[in-house]
Amino acid sequence: MIAIVDCNSFYCSCERLFRPDLENKPVVVLSNNDGCIISRSDEAKALGVGMAGPYFKAKPIIEANNVAVFSSNYNLYGDLSWRVMETLRIMFSQNNVEVYSVDEAFINLDIIPLEQIEDVALQIKNTVEQWTGIKVSVGIAATKVLAKVANRLSKKNKAITNCIMVLNTKEKVDAALKQTSIDAVWGIGFSYAEKLLKYNINTAYDLSKKDITWAKKHLGGVIGIRLIQELKGIRSIQMKDELLNKKMIMTTRMFGAAVTDIKSIKEAVATYASRAAEKLRRQSCAAKTISVFLVAKQESHNASFNRGTTINTYTTLPVATSLTHQLIKPAIELVERLFEQGMVYKKAGVMLSDIVLDTSIQGNLFLSETKNKTRFLMDVMDNINFSQRGDVLKFAASGTTRNWKMQQNFHSPKYTSRWDDLCVVK
Amino acid sequence: MNQETLYQSAYNGTKGFTQQDVKTANATGFGAAADDFMERGIDLNEMLIRNKPATYFFRMNSNAMESSGIFSGDVLVVDRSIKATNNAIIVAAVNGELFVRRYNQSFKKAVLSADNKRFRDIVIDEFSQFQCWGIVTYVIHQLH
Repeated sequence: MIAIVDCNSFYCSCERLFRPDLENKPVVVLSNNDGCIISRSDEAKALGVGMAGPYFKAKPIIEANNVAVFSSNYNLYGDLSWRVMETLRIMFSQNNVEVYSVDEAFINLDIIPLEQIEDVALQIKNTVEQWTGIKVSVGIAATKVLAKVANRLSKKNKAITNCIMVLNTKEKVDAALKQTSIDAVWGIGFSYAEKLLKYNINTAYDLSKKDITWAKKHLGGVIGIRLIQELKGIRSIQMKDELLNKKMIMTTRMFGAAVTDIKSIKEAVATYASRAAEKLRRQSCAAKTISVFLVAKQESHNASFNRGTTINTYTTLPVATSLTHQLIKPAIELVERLFEQGMVYKKAGVMLSDIVLDTSIQGNLFLSETKNKTRFLMDVMDNINFSQRGDVLKFAASGTTRNWKMQQNFHSPKYTSRWDDLCVVK
Repeated sequence: MNQETLYQSAYNGTKGFTQQDVKTANATGFGAAADDFMERGIDLNEMLIRNKPATYFFRMNSNAMESSGIFSGDVLVVDRSIKATNNAIIVAAVNGELFVRRYNQSFKKAVLSADNKRFRDIVIDEFSQFQCWGIVTYVIHQLH
């Protein structure tokens, strides 16, 4: 059997951990720059606060009901996510846990005898909650897709399910599939759901009754076949190993306020390039291609939540590099190419691709001494910045005033990573 | 790193420890004799953190527990994975506030008592919202 463990309203749960006064109270967490609502507690959902909606639209409900609002504190969420995953790894060994996202993990339970599965489900839920303070839902079934179905239903009626659903009999699987509309199945997007609806497939159950030949003929492609197999309880999506090296590194932020001058954009892009280079060095890699993109604000009154037009361009470097200054320079040149006087910008980003392993630290035989020294300089810089927890050392190109910095007006303390931010008790 | 054991309850200190972290003199002259006997140095994490994903730190901000050696400004090491037993010093969430107190559960009620006469007992009855947040396992107190 496969389990999926999913943290309930994860970001809100994190904010509540050190704030028992918010237990059973409505809580929302905002995206970077305090733009949209990205996490809601059950109480906030019940008030009708929409998901992924802009904050200003929900503001009347939020203020009328005294909803607690937080800017995203990724520092805290990252630490608590590690704790949840580590607890699962201690319980089931590293090889059986696949971290799927910041708040979800698949667990391979093949070693657990079937008659013990329900006890194990309860044990997972209780242990994670006891150790980390984060509440989770557990869905268990024969395949990943079915486990996702179980998990989704376990959250629907928490009082009855206790946030646990185990699909260990055919009857339970069928009942669960009948309650799952086709667009709620893991891996089925909006347009794919539309397509299936045309074939009169309304629920996951309908799809599970189709056979492979039908899928080959009408759906084509491997995705449809895999989905049907998974719904029938035949494993077609395997457990994946940890993704050690990312193939693409992206750093992008909204500006705190609209930006019109090229100097601020250059500073912002230099800052994002430095951040991306740091991520690159953390996975011991170097990149050959750097892309920069700018997003313009659109000319209407509530424009800031429309997508806006994105313009981007890229440069391929002569050699792959992970040195910050070698990435800032082309990034700034790209900004000069993209920037148009008179435009109003709301967002910028840097993307590094063509990523290769950086062997320059070991293979120093073939590199000139100066190049190794700069690599060494980067290491020193990273070590200082990581040990001091912040950008203590940075390139002057990334600016000192940083007027474009994003807004985070409701940021909670970094309870788990800063001595000065520890939760105070009396 | 690859532990196959199921339900291993806890581990100590830094998990990422490798043999390379053991310091050796690497002296250019004599030195080999001492290097043969080098072992892992003292790591405070080993003692203070019994179960890493379940251990959190708090800052004490009252003198309620002074007789137990917890002074205002001290850092508390709190382990969530230990069950509260009578007489344990715990971090308790009572009606939305966090307290550090000695925990005692009797037949019908629980009492959270301070070690300082000037503080009144907090009696947990059926009308209070109470949750044991975690057990205080160590106090870090700065002397100098």
